[in-house]
Amino acid sequence: MTDQIREQVSALLDGELPRDEIGLLVRRMERDPDLRGSFGRYSLIGETLRAPGGRTAHPSFAARVSAAIDAPGEAAAAQDVPAIAASHAFWKRPAFATAVAASFALLAVILVRPFASEDAAIVVANTAATLTVSPLAGAISPTPAQSQRLAGYLVAHSQFSSPMARRSVWSGLLAADPGLQRASYEIQEAP
Amino acid sequence: MKPHEPVDDETRPSAGVEQSDLELVKRAQRGERGAFDLLVLRYQHKVVKLVARLLRDPAEAEDVAQEAFVKAYRALGSFRGDSAFYTWLYRIAVNTARNSIASRQRRPLDYEADLSENEQSAVESRMRHTDTPEANVLSEEIHRTVNRAVEELPEDLRTAIILREVEGLSYEEIAQAMDCPVGTVRSRIFRAREAIDRNLKPLLD
Repeated sequence: MTDQIREQVSALLDGELPRDEIGLLVRRMERDPDLRGSFGRYSLIGETLRAPGGRTAHPSFAARVSAAIDAPGEAAAAQDVPAIAASHAFWKRPAFATAVAASFALLAVILVRPFASEDAAIVVANTAATLTVSPLAGAISPTPAQSQRLAGYLVAHSQFSSPMARRSVWSGLLAADPGLQRASYEIQEAP
Repeated sequence: MKPHEPVDDETRPSAGVEQSDLELVKRAQRGERGAFDLLVLRYQHKVVKLVARLLRDPAEAEDVAQEAFVKAYRALGSFRGDSAFYTWLYRIAVNTARNSIASRQRRPLDYEADLSENEQSAVESRMRHTDTPEANVLSEEIHRTVNRAVEELPEDLRTAIILREVEGLSYEEIAQAMDCPVGTVRSRIFRAREAIDRNLKPLLD
């Protein structure tokens, strides 16, 4: 290791190394533990001069961090990281998505029930519980306004449910209301 | 503790260091692991010191600081450079320390009631040991060694390293203050570090 390279290491620590020299030096340091050692000790010298007293990291600290990063299954807790995506995590939880899908399925049953015979309502209720919907035999077709409302619920449902649950609810409601065909087709074609 | 304590101005890196950090972050984001290792080496002492102050438990400080660095690495993709890297890292370290404190407060303490007298004595002995860990002794020795080595430096090297490390001046500013070329400043700072390092290295090996 030449003095010239260690002088570059010193300048890198100070943020004074020309940008076009950084890449080569970083790659060299990745291969050379002595250079990394110098960088760490230069940093320690500065920290000691700037803020005497207090705790300093153990000489093996950086190596332990490196090993922890490489350890399989090591995961960071999102709430400690100032990232913007963390607030969306709640909506991605499978249990939440399943609960919302089940709620919409139940809502669909309640809406359809006044138009269906008692037997058909039982079929729908069983279908919602098992997420395997069968056509509503004997159901009376809803009015255009009711079809529009059902289409709205379908759109909302499609945002939260799994593909299998979505397909099941669609197939059940489409069998009950041919007027929903166009709306459901558009939803299915959407990305 | 406040949710986000302000970064201490005295420990805030200079503009040149911030730029250098950003370059290392970009490289780490592209998968150059060595670049992140250098960021750890640069900030390990700052972060450990910060966390130790927040936790008031030196024994736990390194574990929490390590956790903070691992979280920073995992979240590096979300770092956009809107703030300095150290400011971002500082916030992660503070949040990690807060979580550690909260977790410790939730930890049940009634196990002590089940300890026999001998076991209780052993626990207290271990606690006394962690109150004065080897690391604290090492920190004091490092402090003494570095300061002694700085005092022994030739005046031009001592002035250069103090202006850089304590006053935080750039090479350009030091060159103006010492009336010499920037290249000479760079060389003097390097030689000062090397001279101090010759005393420091045996302590850490």
